[in-house]
Amino acid sequence: MTMQHSAVHETGQGADQRSGQIAVSVTDLRLKFPGEKAFVFKDVSLSVPAGEKVLLLGPSGCGKSTLLQVLGGLIPAVIDVPLKYADIRKPRSGGYVFQDPDTQFCMPYVDEELAFVLENRQVAREDMVPRMQEALGRVGLDLEELHTPIERLSLGMKQRLALASVLLLEPEVLLLDEPSALLDPEGRQQIWEAVRGVSAGRTVLIVEHRIEEIVNWVDRIVLFAPDGSILADGKPAEIFTAYRRVLQENGIWYPGVWEDYIRHRDTWNSGLLQSPQQGADLAAPVLSLRGFVGLRGDAPAIMVEEAEVYAGDFVAVVGPNGAGKSSLLLSLMQLLPTAGSYVLEGRPLQGRGRKRTCPSDRIGFVFQNPEFQFVAQTVLEETAFSLHMQGGMSRAEVERKAEDCLKTFHLHGLENRHPYQLSTGQKRRLSVATAAVRRQAVLLLDEPTFGQDARNAFAILEYCEALRRSGTAIIMVTHEREIAELAATQVWEIQGGSLTAIKPGRRRLEGDGAASDAQEEVSG
Amino acid sequence: MNRFLTPSRHTWLHRANPSLKLAVLIMLFIVTIQTRSIDFAVYQAAVYIALLFLLSGYPAWKVALLVLSFSLVFVSSSLTMILFGKGDHVWWQWGLFRVSEESFYRGLHLGFRAIAFAAEGLLFVMTTPSVKLFYSLMQNFRLPPKFAYSFMASIRLLSIVWEEFLIRRQALRIRGVRTGRGPRGLLEHVRLYAVPLLSQSIRRAHRVAVAMEAKQFSGSGRRTYYYPSAFSWYDGLAVLMFVIALAAAYYAAAALPWFGIEDVRYHGQG
Amino acid sequence: MNSSTMQMDRPKGLKLSDLLVTILLSLVIGVVYHFWGSVNDLFKPLFFQADELMYGMWFLASTLAALLIRKPGVALLAEVAAAHVEILFGSEWGLQLAIYGVAQGLAAELIFALFRYRKFSMGVAALAGMASGLGSFLVDVYYGYVTDYTTWMIVFKYVMRLISSAVLAGYLAYALTKALEATGVTQLLRPVTAKDYEALDHD
Repeated sequence: MTMQHSAVHETGQGADQRSGQIAVSVTDLRLKFPGEKAFVFKDVSLSVPAGEKVLLLGPSGCGKSTLLQVLGGLIPAVIDVPLKYADIRKPRSGGYVFQDPDTQFCMPYVDEELAFVLENRQVAREDMVPRMQEALGRVGLDLEELHTPIERLSLGMKQRLALASVLLLEPEVLLLDEPSALLDPEGRQQIWEAVRGVSAGRTVLIVEHRIEEIVNWVDRIVLFAPDGSILADGKPAEIFTAYRRVLQENGIWYPGVWEDYIRHRDTWNSGLLQSPQQGADLAAPVLSLRGFVGLRGDAPAIMVEEAEVYAGDFVAVVGPNGAGKSSLLLSLMQLLPTAGSYVLEGRPLQGRGRKRTCPSDRIGFVFQNPEFQFVAQTVLEETAFSLHMQGGMSRAEVERKAEDCLKTFHLHGLENRHPYQLSTGQKRRLSVATAAVRRQAVLLLDEPTFGQDARNAFAILEYCEALRRSGTAIIMVTHEREIAELAATQVWEIQGGSLTAIKPGRRRLEGDGAASDAQEEVSG
Repeated sequence: MNRFLTPSRHTWLHRANPSLKLAVLIMLFIVTIQTRSIDFAVYQAAVYIALLFLLSGYPAWKVALLVLSFSLVFVSSSLTMILFGKGDHVWWQWGLFRVSEESFYRGLHLGFRAIAFAAEGLLFVMTTPSVKLFYSLMQNFRLPPKFAYSFMASIRLLSIVWEEFLIRRQALRIRGVRTGRGPRGLLEHVRLYAVPLLSQSIRRAHRVAVAMEAKQFSGSGRRTYYYPSAFSWYDGLAVLMFVIALAAAYYAAAALPWFGIEDVRYHGQG
Repeated sequence: MNSSTMQMDRPKGLKLSDLLVTILLSLVIGVVYHFWGSVNDLFKPLFFQADELMYGMWFLASTLAALLIRKPGVALLAEVAAAHVEILFGSEWGLQLAIYGVAQGLAAELIFALFRYRKFSMGVAALAGMASGLGSFLVDVYYGYVTDYTTWMIVFKYVMRLISSAVLAGYLAYALTKALEATGVTQLLRPVTAKDYEALDHD
């Protein structure tokens, strides 16, 4: 096969690739976003020999993804960011897989998307289909029909499609920018399997928080500090023994992170919600369903034969993608028309017709994408908005309560920031804060730990646990097996559009002394 | 909506070259614009509607629905002119309304012409998928790929924006957002939808652009094409058919006039 | 230091991301207008000429895109893209709107060009919107015989259109731009300046 990539060589010596040679490197990199005070990188150097598999680790926002874009040549050729360096060596050809499965494609169908890459490389039309099939085969994506709409693929399949299209570039270097961050466990496993399958003889640079699947496979880990400097650089085993604490602080999902979390909950999250008991009526269920059906159009999207949730329950809703978990939440929120019996705090709800209203005064809801639920232009207003909705409070009182709430969720000092300008973790915390501030009887959460680093995920879990202790019933859709095992009092399994099993949770959080520590700590 | 807009069968007009079809239809469009005779406008509308039934590839009931909606087009294109157009032979007057013979026929003419435009446009849209159109424009009309692919990528993203709009609507209900009445309430309403949807769109579009360039898309220069866009005898057939259709309309207007007005424009002394 | 200062002297033409952002924004606005238009059509016979008050929506795409991206060509492209939605959706107005789109977009582009693509204030946006309104008037004259309306009707219709253009394409576009700037997303769109490169040399 002929290689037709555009050669990018700034160091000049267009050398042939032999083992032991440097595939990518940068020396004394300086980079700063326009208008920002702090440098993202200040005189950072990194060099990667050909064929090496390197994992870049660090806290969110430390610039790892930016570094990947510099090394692959996207910055500044495509993305305009001011930078300078003493020396750089970019790969002759690199291929990126990005985090968001929905923003990597420009065409509506699988074959058209793959063809886009082949057209860019001026591959003859007759050769296109065989090459597409080969690439899809290599990433384990078996489609009956090449002309399949991309929107019909699961997130995990989309990421493998992205990898397949990158393979068509025949890249020397694979640059993977959190490719598994938004996937469920199965999707994660499959994408990494595919990556391992195609990376023989290639240099691979990975940025990722969820590293369980690859940590034993990479040759080298580069650990970044929050200020963008390199903290450590070595073999995985060395990094894990010497820098475990740093990994924890950085929110890395390393293997065994859950065990560490359970053992040392107080060191992970200090100063969480105080839990004033609401004197909730524990004998009667706060929410009970009987012969309950949520409808999309006229077709049932979710069926629940019988289920009850009590104050202080933590329900983990689990099941495969598309099984009806989100429909369940929407039905409980009465955003879908429903049939059957649905009793909330002793009062039956009218699920159909004109009387159907959204019980937002009694149920809080946390969306998967926090940005979609924000309505105000500052963090403080955002929190106060929920309280204003509740009514019956003076302005000053609202403000005070909102401030308190922000403190509890570690968002103080950000009161005047625009909600969109927060970090991913802060946005998530704010969305939980605004849903919980009114202290409704029930809190629904749609995969709140999705795409979060470990530290944030645990923080969310702690907030929910604290709310639960104070009498709120938590119903959380989640893909994290561990959450179901650790925190849930009930596990609801959803399959094929109905609630198939209700199992008691094991509540491993309860077993430790650490659990009570967290409760006793008072937020400052 | 996508399913509704997918043809149930492919007619030979679907196989004609999209660029050529576009060119022919623009010519027809210009002819329609230049039409001053009311009868010619009526017959143009009639032949293009007939072609819609025959060649769009959609079931007759869907085409009938669309054609019914033309009545709205007719009303909204003609009414203002009928009621407020200039004219000397006044038929009816009431307050500001003033229907004259001239304004009435000029209004009807505008209405029929609008129907002719609508049918021409639908003939093109219903027989030409947008991906094929852009592929053809790149190959036959030298449209720079960066424009063609920006359009195709944006169309793909548009359906995601639609889903997000639905999510946002739910979210606002859950948060219990109610906006006031009047212009301020309206502005608030616009902001509540526009800010999340547009900011997300900007970010998405930017990311897709980066992903495309990361796949060695240069936006100009040589490339090969997955969908070839050549010319075939269907194109000749299409040109021939449209010429015959137009000629038929012209001949019918001369042979079987309904109104017999050659030029509907106002020539009186205002 | 071999700093890549060459980068900042590149011509500020439209990058792929500029094109995509412009087109997607315009498509979104086009869709809004499309649905608005369908509702509007139903009521038009009742509230006569009320649609003129919303007409400025059409020009919102071009002024908003221009205020956000601030580069030559954006206003024109935005109008053409917004009209494209109608063609895409099989609207009855499809083809004629393409012609309006070009005329309106060119008119708006002209105003931004007069200010040499340096000034992107509310006033300039309002002027650009009104210029688009004027562009649409010219097409109307040729295509819809609007000069054959009684004189008071011509004045009434187009004064309403101009007011709507100034409000929607001027004020609303500006307000939306400010609201989007507050979210930080516009950082992605604004070109990097030489000053930003200089900032690299200070500690």
